Amino acid sequence: MTAAAGQRARRGRGGRRAGRAWRGYLYVLPAAAVYLAFAVLPALHTAYLSLFEWDGVTLGEWAGLRNYREVFTDPALRGAVFNALVLVVFFALLPILAGLVMTGLLSLPRASLGGAGSRRRGLGVYRLLFMLPQVVPLVAVGVTWRWLYGEDGLINETLGGIGLGGWARPWLGDFDWALVAVGLVGTWVLSGLCMMLFLAGVHKIDPQLYEAARLDGAGPVREFVSVTLPQLRGELAVALTVTTVAALASFDIVYVTTGGGPGEETTVPGLLVYKLAFTDGKVGLASALGVVLSLLILGLVYVINRLSRTERT
Amino acid sequence: MRRGGAGVNQAAGAYRTERWSGYVLLTAGAVAVVVPFLSVFLASMQPSGEPVVGMEWPQHWSLDNYRQAWTVAGFSSLMRSSALIAVGVVPASLVLAGLAGYALGTMRLPGGDGVAALFVAGLTIPVELIVVPLYFDLRSIGLTDSYLGVILVEIALFLPFSVFWMRTHFRTTPPELVEAARIDGASSWTVLFRVLLPLARPALTTLGVLVFMWSWNQFLLVLVLIQDATKRTAPAGLGFFVGQNNTDVPMLAAGTILVMLPITIVYVLFQRSFVAGLLQGAFKG
Amino acid sequence: MDGHGIAARTRAPVFLALLAVLVTACGALTPGTAADPDRPRTVPSQTAVPQEDITLSLTFADAPALVDALAAAFHKRHPHLTIEPRYTQFADYVKSIKLTMASDTAPDLAQFAVGMDDIAARGDILDLGPYRDAYGWRKKFPAAALDQLTGSGERAAEGDHLYGVPAGLSMTGIYYNKELARKAGITRPPRTLAEFDRQLAAVKKAGMTPLSVGALDSGGLHLWAALLNNAMEPEKYRAWVKGAEGATIETEEALAATAKLVEWSRKGYVDEAAGGTTQNDSTGAFVRGRGVFLINGNWAAGQLSEAMGKKAGFFLMPAAHEGARAVSSGFSVSYAISSRTRHPRAAGAFLDFLASKEAQKIVAANGFLAVDEEAVPTPKGVLGDVARAHRRVTDDDGMNHFPDFTAPGMLDPLRAGVQKLLAGRTTPEAYLASLQDVWDEQYGSGR
Repeated sequence: MTAAAGQRARRGRGGRRAGRAWRGYLYVLPAAAVYLAFAVLPALHTAYLSLFEWDGVTLGEWAGLRNYREVFTDPALRGAVFNALVLVVFFALLPILAGLVMTGLLSLPRASLGGAGSRRRGLGVYRLLFMLPQVVPLVAVGVTWRWLYGEDGLINETLGGIGLGGWARPWLGDFDWALVAVGLVGTWVLSGLCMMLFLAGVHKIDPQLYEAARLDGAGPVREFVSVTLPQLRGELAVALTVTTVAALASFDIVYVTTGGGPGEETTVPGLLVYKLAFTDGKVGLASALGVVLSLLILGLVYVINRLSRTERT
Repeated sequence: MRRGGAGVNQAAGAYRTERWSGYVLLTAGAVAVVVPFLSVFLASMQPSGEPVVGMEWPQHWSLDNYRQAWTVAGFSSLMRSSALIAVGVVPASLVLAGLAGYALGTMRLPGGDGVAALFVAGLTIPVELIVVPLYFDLRSIGLTDSYLGVILVEIALFLPFSVFWMRTHFRTTPPELVEAARIDGASSWTVLFRVLLPLARPALTTLGVLVFMWSWNQFLLVLVLIQDATKRTAPAGLGFFVGQNNTDVPMLAAGTILVMLPITIVYVLFQRSFVAGLLQGAFKG
Repeated sequence: MDGHGIAARTRAPVFLALLAVLVTACGALTPGTAADPDRPRTVPSQTAVPQEDITLSLTFADAPALVDALAAAFHKRHPHLTIEPRYTQFADYVKSIKLTMASDTAPDLAQFAVGMDDIAARGDILDLGPYRDAYGWRKKFPAAALDQLTGSGERAAEGDHLYGVPAGLSMTGIYYNKELARKAGITRPPRTLAEFDRQLAAVKKAGMTPLSVGALDSGGLHLWAALLNNAMEPEKYRAWVKGAEGATIETEEALAATAKLVEWSRKGYVDEAAGGTTQNDSTGAFVRGRGVFLINGNWAAGQLSEAMGKKAGFFLMPAAHEGARAVSSGFSVSYAISSRTRHPRAAGAFLDFLASKEAQKIVAANGFLAVDEEAVPTPKGVLGDVARAHRRVTDDDGMNHFPDFTAPGMLDPLRAGVQKLLAGRTTPEAYLASLQDVWDEQYGSGR
């Protein structure tokens, strides 16, 4: 800020100096060019293609907003968007809940000792482990879980082992459970990230806030609700944003575990964009779905950040 | 401090039990994370072609499945493709984002905030939004089935974050440094290379490992842009491998481990950068 | 204030520049290109093999080993002609074949696949009609195999266009584990559907899984098609697959076949894990003794023969009455000629070579059914069962297209639909209606 102010003060009105200010754009140019050419233009091109009925080869036909109407009326497409929203529960809400519970329990000593003992020894190893699912390719994660969920997989074996053999089923082929099973893979991947995010956030909280709460006679639970939670608002917004985007734009896990089945129980928009455009020859419809999906993501991210901001003030 | 001795003892006692339950909880979580990885690893040690049920300790340890996946199933070429793409994406991303972040973070460019906002707007672009026209556009200029095509798109896809990250970094460097160098008559180029770049190494390292991870893990983009089986990347190859050879669980498991290995090694080596990046980077929203 | 002024002044040109880039990029054009009327639509009618050195590119998705062997044998016979195979995996192949054939760098030869009708309609592959007469292909290839590669539907009015020539054939049916079957008191393959019904019930009663199905991918649709083949008259079914005017799948016969599938599932005859099992996995499970019967294609015969030996047998899904016409689903590995090729006569020589004894031996050795059954001796065991069943089907002109050949978008509703039927999540009526919707979209309901 101060630098900016200083620069402004010195710059004055001269055209020569304005020219020099412009020269700074030479540094931005390469990045901007690549970004425009390979991300922004394709995005706009998608919006353009969504107004056509086109099979990818022959001459397209102007369709106006017909593709968009189909996105909202076709049960298969609407169902995919609905499935993605269900996945938000598993990709976003459950990991955040798990992260908060863990954080609450792990940060208790910090609260009761007013800051002492906040650094747990050996936490580094745990941190390394908890972030691992976030780091490895989702395709590999999907392959792993596809196998764990299998008929003779570890999950069914374990259920049988603890006398719950009646619950054993081919999870990914079960109409009632497939979406839940896929969702729980997301929970597994994202819980560690949420937890680490919150733990890092807790360490930034001013210990005096806890002191004050304790002077008011707050117990550990109330302390968590009235001090920790509000102070983590920023981290919560971030976690919610990241996980929600992961849920709505999910593709990799679904592609390798179920391929959208059984029936269309686990079909998500990402999968449909791929199939519609490249196997069914409905490029326009796929583009419209991509646009709708992106707007949905943008809208939700906006709402999340808006909420976290208004609460803060 | 303000508390009496009894209070401290009480709190210390609570702390001890708490520390215990805390570790129990952490360990339970760690087990939940490790078991899937462990079961894949154990499966990869079973004799090739055998059906694997649940988690089984192998009779004897052997790397046969890995050898087979590496040669017969072609994972060597898959990994080479992934590595080639990452080698193209990471340095280019660092250079482009470093330059742009420097200008947008330390200079007062006319309309600079608008340009920065344009980059930030790309943070939530899902691959799904751009992959369809990319296929047709790149195809018409001969960039499908080519590493260059994938590299360019990945750079573009990661640039919003990369530029945002470097800009944030450069904004936090003390302005006095830049000012002092300028007064000495240094050009903006010299300022960047002599003054700022040495300070930016941690930020660049973190960005580098993050970009490497995203590039290594990218799936949908490669699935669409690379049709040539000989140029497919590790995740894409694994995705196809599942469809074809899923009766041979041990070899599939070995392939899965192979695909996870490079990124895991980078993760362990650069864990500090990684964790910092993933946690701070999560704030990109 | 100052800053705002500059920003405002500079923003407009930046915006205009962006807009200009955008408009040029989009080309302000309708996507895609119209068909080029100048390209030839049919092959010449001479069969003389050109004598200069020619290399033909061949893009394909199935059986790389087979293609390599065929290319090598062809080159040996015509040393100046070389086939350069370009392999693409099947899922990608189906996805990209339209684009590949429409591009200026299209290969000379291409494996025939779903959606080839559209490619033919655009004029991107050649009508092989003149070769059929000049080379005498009607005598060399089974009628059903050629028929599956012949354009009809809206193109029927223009005559009998042939768009591909088969190398090897494929067919689906039911494998059974003789050892386990005997435990349930079953000593021979069923001759009627009712008998098969009783056998399934007997297996169920004996506490075993009657029918393995890999319905996670395409096993489910094979089961449905097998029941349909014996319920619906083949000519009516083929008209539907080919998009003939007014054809429909919403018929009494199709409804009965679909209801049968639902009944089997409800009675517990179909492996309850079917919806979560791929065809590959179901075959593996069958080898391990899960399931007494297995629905699959001839492509699994080699694996089963090797793993189970004499224990494995094969039969066609039986019809309602004994001695009825033998009908099954199948297709061929076949090849078409691009209309952009500069060497249609060399390409024709390759296609004709596929009918030769030498080529057919290669085909059989690679696990496909030979086009000319006399060319190869009937194998033993389950492979022999498959070969004999195939002969019955071709003799009866009973080879039907797979149902997903109806339209590129048909595979998903079939796969998902059968999964839903097996799980009791949809009715036979709704399932057939969903298929017909896709058909209507492809061929237009008004016609």
